[in-house]
Amino acid sequence: MSGETLVEMKNIVKIYGEHKVLKNVDFDLRAGEIHCLVGENGAGKSTLIKILSGAVMPDSGEILILGKHVRALNPRLAIELGITTVYQDAELVDSLTVAENVFLGNELKSRVPLKVNKRKQAEEARRIFGRLGINLDPDEYVDNLSTAQKQMLQIAKALHRSARVIIMDEPTSSLGLEETRALLTLLKSLRNQGLGIIYISHYLSEVFEIADRLTILKDGEKVGTYSSKEIDVGTVIKKMVGRDTAMFFQRRSVQIGEPLLIVKGLTKNEIVKNVTFDVRKGEVFGIGGLVGSGRTELVSMIYGALKPDSGEILLNGQKIVSRSPLDAMKKGICFVSEDRKKYGILPGRNLVENIMVVKNNLSKGFFLNLNEEVALSSQMVRKLSIAVTDRDQLIEELSGGNQQKTIIGRWLLNTDAKLFIFDEPTKGVDIGAREQIYEIILELAERGKGIIMVSSDMPELLSMSDRIGVMRNGEMKIILENRDVTEEQLIRLFIGV
Amino acid sequence: MARSKDTNGSVLPRGKKPIYKNQWFFLLLAEIVLAVITGSINPRFFAISNITNILEQIAVLGILASGMTMLIISGEIDISVGANIGLVSCVIAMMIKNDVNYLWIVMVALGLAAFNSLLVGASSLIFKAPSFITSLGFLSVFRGTAYAITKGVFQTIYGKFEALGLTRLWGVLPLGFLIGILIYLVTHFLLKYTKIGRHFYAVGSNPAAAYLSGISIFKTKLLAFLINGFLVGLASMILLSRVGAAQPTTGSGLELRAIGAVVIGGTPLSGGKGHILGTFFGVLLMGIISNTLNMLRVNPYFQEVVFGLFIVASLAVSAFSAYSGKGVLKRRLKKD
Repeated sequence: MSGETLVEMKNIVKIYGEHKVLKNVDFDLRAGEIHCLVGENGAGKSTLIKILSGAVMPDSGEILILGKHVRALNPRLAIELGITTVYQDAELVDSLTVAENVFLGNELKSRVPLKVNKRKQAEEARRIFGRLGINLDPDEYVDNLSTAQKQMLQIAKALHRSARVIIMDEPTSSLGLEETRALLTLLKSLRNQGLGIIYISHYLSEVFEIADRLTILKDGEKVGTYSSKEIDVGTVIKKMVGRDTAMFFQRRSVQIGEPLLIVKGLTKNEIVKNVTFDVRKGEVFGIGGLVGSGRTELVSMIYGALKPDSGEILLNGQKIVSRSPLDAMKKGICFVSEDRKKYGILPGRNLVENIMVVKNNLSKGFFLNLNEEVALSSQMVRKLSIAVTDRDQLIEELSGGNQQKTIIGRWLLNTDAKLFIFDEPTKGVDIGAREQIYEIILELAERGKGIIMVSSDMPELLSMSDRIGVMRNGEMKIILENRDVTEEQLIRLFIGV
Repeated sequence: MARSKDTNGSVLPRGKKPIYKNQWFFLLLAEIVLAVITGSINPRFFAISNITNILEQIAVLGILASGMTMLIISGEIDISVGANIGLVSCVIAMMIKNDVNYLWIVMVALGLAAFNSLLVGASSLIFKAPSFITSLGFLSVFRGTAYAITKGVFQTIYGKFEALGLTRLWGVLPLGFLIGILIYLVTHFLLKYTKIGRHFYAVGSNPAAAYLSGISIFKTKLLAFLINGFLVGLASMILLSRVGAAQPTTGSGLELRAIGAVVIGGTPLSGGKGHILGTFFGVLLMGIISNTLNMLRVNPYFQEVVFGLFIVASLAVSAFSAYSGKGVLKRRLKKD
């Protein structure tokens, strides 16, 4: 059953800033197998396949493709060597037809010079689709295809270019049941034709349906590679989690008061469905779930950055509608976004301006008080021990942890704050700064603020939250009292097994 | 003032950026070198009358460049300001010819220019199109309208409305130049000491983050266009007053000079950064170059060529300074 080794990766190391996201990971793929990669969010799965597809350069390690050493892999070289990565949306030209996309770059010429033989391309494409057993109209425009159809088209295109390795990263996360079935069937038939397939998915049921072997990653380290016959779902989950206790933060308990925020039936098309929960004063309400389960969209609606279709939000017993972030801010809702670079920092501006942006917005009047700005910023720099050399230092020159503290400091200056929403508060932040951020969160709770903490980091959720709401496919499936909850239970709820 | 801040000095001392690291410092050096060279070839360069002449010529450009600085800092641009000037000066020239009250003329000049600029801004913001493109479209609309209302005829105002452009205080300082200086000061004040200025920087730096911090991107950017419009109106009046006549092509090319002055003054087109001091020296450099070319009797057609190249060069400077910190250029060079 297992054929020659197509890909071999040895001792792969990748470091982002202060973070080692891959620590000496080995991986191999044989012809005629489906090899699944599993692990939590941030375990390093996507980084590993990005290295194989040439999109990311490893810091050290060897890559052998068909037994040959490959140095300086880039996306084009990877494709030439027969490695194709199927992305959810990209890589296709929407304004061209299905057949034209298959032959993009090596069009079939007709007798007239410079003219493409469209009819022959369509016939040829139909033949390829027939062989794969997929149902696509070669003359349809790609624009009109569904996500599933686009993925299939990419696979067909890859095969036409005689790919031997196909990489799929979470291909089914936006597919319906039928489409998932069809995709898995296609993958199985490709395997039987001798291709090697690397498949990443959070959905362990799928993994066990198609995998020949699976490799488990945890915190950038390889736990092991197993034949899918010799391992069961329970063991896999145990191996995906299970950390030493050093990763957990020991928090003190805080007096919890009456409900501060009540969310009733909040809905946004298919992304967030009928979510109901409440947050009490002094409580840290954790929201967990897989990436793409609707967590960020849910909190964006509370903050007014996204308009809900239906449902209501009550703050201190009063119904509120947050029309915009400014509106929400004035009502006392603060929001630290998950993507600091995209939604947090003001690059090119100094620390003072970055800290003062919220406070200045809330204050009335036309003029700035520069002396007060420096005084308040200094206060924050001291309180949060932000490492900064002088007041003209630009925000992007600070480390990730210091940037994050600056952004949190921005919200601490909102004196009317009642509710704090932290979306992935410690993403890309080193251990020291991480504990400081936890301290700040607890201090806010002690002052009677309500805290919503969205996190993909299991130890963070388990050590900080009073209660944990689990989001899955846009619904809040369950709200757990955080007593004796284990990582294993939690990930089971995330995945839904 | 420095002493009162000493209490905070422990954690947030003032930055110690050496003076020679400022863009304006280089411009000042370039200006001195250029002046010395030109002056040694043609001593008339340093004559009071010539210096007055330079100051008078850069007044209009300075006012335009101030508005452009605020726009570019907000992450927008308006390349229709030249055409806007053309339309506004034609309209007010026709009014002056018909002896309309000066109060009306000032109001129409400011109002029309602001309205035009708002059209550019609003269409860009509402249709989510880059303002470079919408202003390109409106450039044609403004110039076309000017042709239509004047029927292409030169509008002479026969020496009326001279005070604004031709008054010289104590015989040497042009009033237009003083107004220009006042505008620089107001712009500096706005950018540095008011919430609006801070908002300009914020929306230019990172609109998504600014929005989540409660800044209305639409209002902020529209305000930048509004201020730009008022300044265009003011510039139109000074220009018309100085030249004494208007035609639809009046002001054409000024937009590029204004943008060039802003960019060479150290305000990158990517937005979120920049100072008015750089713009001031950028405008001055433009004025000196123009005057030098005249002094050295360079063919006027070649002057256009020189300005074009100068603007391209200033963009190159902008690109290099935008990339230098991030090492993008270096990486790209390494790859090749």
